[in-house]
Amino acid sequence: MALRKIRIMGDDILTKVCRPVEQMTPRTRTLVQDMLDTMYDANGVGLAAPQVGILKRIVVIDIGEGPLVMINPEILEREGEQTGQEGCLSLPGQAGMVTRPNYVKARAFDLEMQPYEVEGEGLLARAICHELDHLDGIMYVRFVEGELFDVSGDEEEEEPEDKEGNEA
Amino acid sequence: MTKPVNLREIVLGILLEITEEEAYSHVVIRNVLEKYQYLDKRDRAFISRTAEGTLEHMIQLDYIIEQFSNVPVYNMKPVIRNLLRMSVYQLKYMDSVPDSAAVNEAVRLAQKKGFYNLKGFVNGVLRNTARRLSQVRYPDPAREPLHYLSVKYSFPIWMLNKWVMQFGYEVTERICRDSHMEKGTTVRCDFEKASKEEIMLELEKQNIQVRQHPYLDYALVISHYNYIDAVSAFKKGWIYVQDISSMLVAEAAAPNWGDYCIDVCAAPGGKSLHISEKLMGSGYVEARDISERKVKRMQENIERSSAINIRAMVKDATVYDPESYQRADIVLADVPCSGLGVIGKKQDIKYKMSEKRQQDIIKVQRKILDTVQNYVRPGGVLIYSTCTIGADENQYNIKWFLENYPFKLENLDPYLCRELRGRTTKGGYIQLLPGVHESDGFFIARLRRLVEE
Repeated sequence: MALRKIRIMGDDILTKVCRPVEQMTPRTRTLVQDMLDTMYDANGVGLAAPQVGILKRIVVIDIGEGPLVMINPEILEREGEQTGQEGCLSLPGQAGMVTRPNYVKARAFDLEMQPYEVEGEGLLARAICHELDHLDGIMYVRFVEGELFDVSGDEEEEEPEDKEGNEA
Repeated sequence: MTKPVNLREIVLGILLEITEEEAYSHVVIRNVLEKYQYLDKRDRAFISRTAEGTLEHMIQLDYIIEQFSNVPVYNMKPVIRNLLRMSVYQLKYMDSVPDSAAVNEAVRLAQKKGFYNLKGFVNGVLRNTARRLSQVRYPDPAREPLHYLSVKYSFPIWMLNKWVMQFGYEVTERICRDSHMEKGTTVRCDFEKASKEEIMLELEKQNIQVRQHPYLDYALVISHYNYIDAVSAFKKGWIYVQDISSMLVAEAAAPNWGDYCIDVCAAPGGKSLHISEKLMGSGYVEARDISERKVKRMQENIERSSAINIRAMVKDATVYDPESYQRADIVLADVPCSGLGVIGKKQDIKYKMSEKRQQDIIKVQRKILDTVQNYVRPGGVLIYSTCTIGADENQYNIKWFLENYPFKLENLDPYLCRELRGRTTKGGYIQLLPGVHESDGFFIARLRRLVEE
């Protein structure tokens, strides 16, 4: 298991558009595994490659029903609406209200570069939208209704990161 | 993306802390709501209503669950039993939650909590409950009267048994029923700061419903407000949240100008402040408590009230303080108790208390009485009070006390309104019962130290 460093908003790489994956390589396989490890370690439900500094069109998602690896994903259909709280591993301690489609249908390639389709409702639809936006350099804060709010108190079990003095 | 807040997971966490780890419900729920301040009002209401409601009806919910499960509730894993309880509560009591949502969310949560193999069990029990809820047969009041009360109102049998013997079946049912009633908040007005008309007007300006409490002129009952901290009359210090029963303690103490009063278990300080008000700045009130944290909060309240004749201090009521020997005109002993009189406000009390625990509490109560009776000067007054119901911590303690110490009970009638005067008040004590009186369950006795020849 290898963890990669999650880039924080303000980092230029999060504003860039990612390139499609041409073919599966051992390097890319490792990247996907590292992304999953990093996502689980950060207690997230989704992570996109640019968040670990790689400009490739790859996202991983797990809303509690098993891992979903999406390579070169695209959304085919959107339906309905949901408004709810959304947060991002690249903006820790903050969240905001975002309206997303309540249903999406997407197409992507798996680790064997086989195409597949996935349908998601509720949280899965939200996560797909959120992560796919990252591949085009878009952060959810662009869509936040009202103010961002502080949720840093929620994860009390998490150990503070050893980065004192970096930010002041 | 970060994990979204799962309201049901929060409720489950609250229930686990309260039912499996002995934490107090009001503390846990308050802390959680503080932590999730940013959630909107609807989500916060869902959390508190689901958690409180599940606790309130827990025995009944367990009874229902056992109609549809071959595994008894006490044999289930803590996560599973609390998950089922809160889900059955949603099915039975929350019309706004569709059955399918209650069931599906529970199944998902079971999996998320690592009980993949119990998904089917949770699904089966809840689906059957949803389908056959209206056909559940409850105990028959004629054949099993105690069991009937226990399941209908979610009270443990041992408690009901005691109450039925002391108060009769009908009064016991009234006590139980009353604990499920929505009630307003009783507040004490400080007429030194504002007149009743000003206070009522100020409250009505904020669309708060106000009504006069029947027992005391300066007591009002308010309802339909969100947070007490946002009530302007409260912020101005015109009103103080206090149950009518606590106000009656200061009435029963009836301090005279210049009296020295020791409140040995004073936190959160309402009774002490009330007595200090009654002394009109004369005399002195010592508000003692064992907990440093509570004394600090009390001191802050005192400073806010700008009273000059009262001081908070850390002192353990079970440890003899020789400096106070026979010095006080009035000693208030509002002792720690089982709290059975305030179950309507703190629902988990009824599950946490046991006969064994009650015996331990009685020992502490007697230790305190044995210690603090020393502080009453000859001819001075001792007020003994508890927020519980039942003879064990009340009448029996008084009987024991009178047999061992030079005190006598004194008529309470001069200090009570006509509705409250009754068989025992002339004798010197009153047991207030929720559902019978418009009050928490509470006990007050007025004792006077004999002057030796």
